[in-house]
Amino acid sequence: MIFSKKKITTEYSVEQCIQCGSLTKRKFHDGDVLFAEISKCTSCNGSTRIEKIFGETVEQ
Amino acid sequence: MNFTSSDFDQLFSMSDDSNPLMMVVWILPIILFVFYGQQIQLFVTSREIKKGLKKLESFREYSRIELINYVKNNLNAKNDPEKKIDKFLDYFTIMPVDMDPNGIVDKVRHTVRSREDYTREHVKLLSPEMTDVELTKVQTLLEIASSLQMIYKIMNHMFLTAKKQNNYPLILPLQMILPFIMEQAEAMKEAIPAFKIGQPVGDGIGPMVVGKMMLNNEKELITFQTSLAKINFEDRKLFLLKAEGPGSTVGRPADGLEKIISENKIDTIIMIDAALKMEGEDSASVAQGFGAAIGGIGTERFQIEAVATTNKIPIFSIVVKQSVKEAITLMTKEIADTAEDVRIQVHEMIRENTRAGQSVVIIGVGNTSGVPQ
Repeated sequence: MIFSKKKITTEYSVEQCIQCGSLTKRKFHDGDVLFAEISKCTSCNGSTRIEKIFGETVEQ
Repeated sequence: MNFTSSDFDQLFSMSDDSNPLMMVVWILPIILFVFYGQQIQLFVTSREIKKGLKKLESFREYSRIELINYVKNNLNAKNDPEKKIDKFLDYFTIMPVDMDPNGIVDKVRHTVRSREDYTREHVKLLSPEMTDVELTKVQTLLEIASSLQMIYKIMNHMFLTAKKQNNYPLILPLQMILPFIMEQAEAMKEAIPAFKIGQPVGDGIGPMVVGKMMLNNEKELITFQTSLAKINFEDRKLFLLKAEGPGSTVGRPADGLEKIISENKIDTIIMIDAALKMEGEDSASVAQGFGAAIGGIGTERFQIEAVATTNKIPIFSIVVKQSVKEAITLMTKEIADTAEDVRIQVHEMIRENTRAGQSVVIIGVGNTSGVPQ
């Protein structure tokens, strides 16, 4: 359609530190699955777990 | 003939009923519409439907190519998989006769499971190194591609039949259902990337909630592709049941529930699932209710209802509302954000409906792609 705007979806993963509970939102990486413990917390060095994986759609 | 002397006012005069030219101008379209109205409507509607069919054909081709490329690039296929995949896409399922409905559910279950088993075994042969997770992904992609193929074929058949017969009423139902079909087909097409990468989809909200409750507890495979964890919560025993992630599967929750009930005394069943929202309803709104919240062709729901009725166990449900597209494409932020709220509601439900010492089965219903436990 001529006037419809193009929609772009960006995929994100939200990691939560198991110790301090701080949340980090980053772009989704291939191989990410929910509850995977893959990195260290930047503030307390504890393990972080992927709490959410989602897409955010914006119109251009 | 002298055209310069024509009086245009008189020629197109609206007030003069006896003007022959005006009579022709008014009567001709009426005659045209009386005798050729249907053909004209057929022509206009056909153009609209043709556009939809072209889109459906492109979706079908896209899903087929995506599936072939996925198998070729990721799974180290032994031989060229194209021919075999094309054969899979044309497979059909003949549903059992329902003139005598007695025992129809068992027959349907048998037919559907036989088809699933057959597909699984033959997809496995495409690449001997294929893991179980990859296998579920290919099966889901195959399901999408064959559904899109079937939709296109049926719609095209209905369209061509109406055109062949030059029959306008035949094309009307097609025109009416086309927007709904397009919505479903577009959703299926857009679901392909999420299933290919193994991301959670909107339908995975139930497994997501239960999967989180299962974390750090011992899990066992209770039945095919279905995981169980037993935990304690405020002096109640909880049996947590979900499809085995992170592969793309819905598991067999009914078989799992039946097995749990045969070995334990269960007092309450709680089911968490995604539900289709009505138009006007907010996406990602959470609602509670009674009865088995589970979709599909109905065999799983039938089995769950039967076992619950036999054992007089109440079934409570919590659903997260979403559109068809949201249910099968990458989970939206709004849906993902409801997970914590749903978990709190499950705990409240347990407290309100059970006493200390009782046992509850909690089932996370839905596709568990990207959602381990």
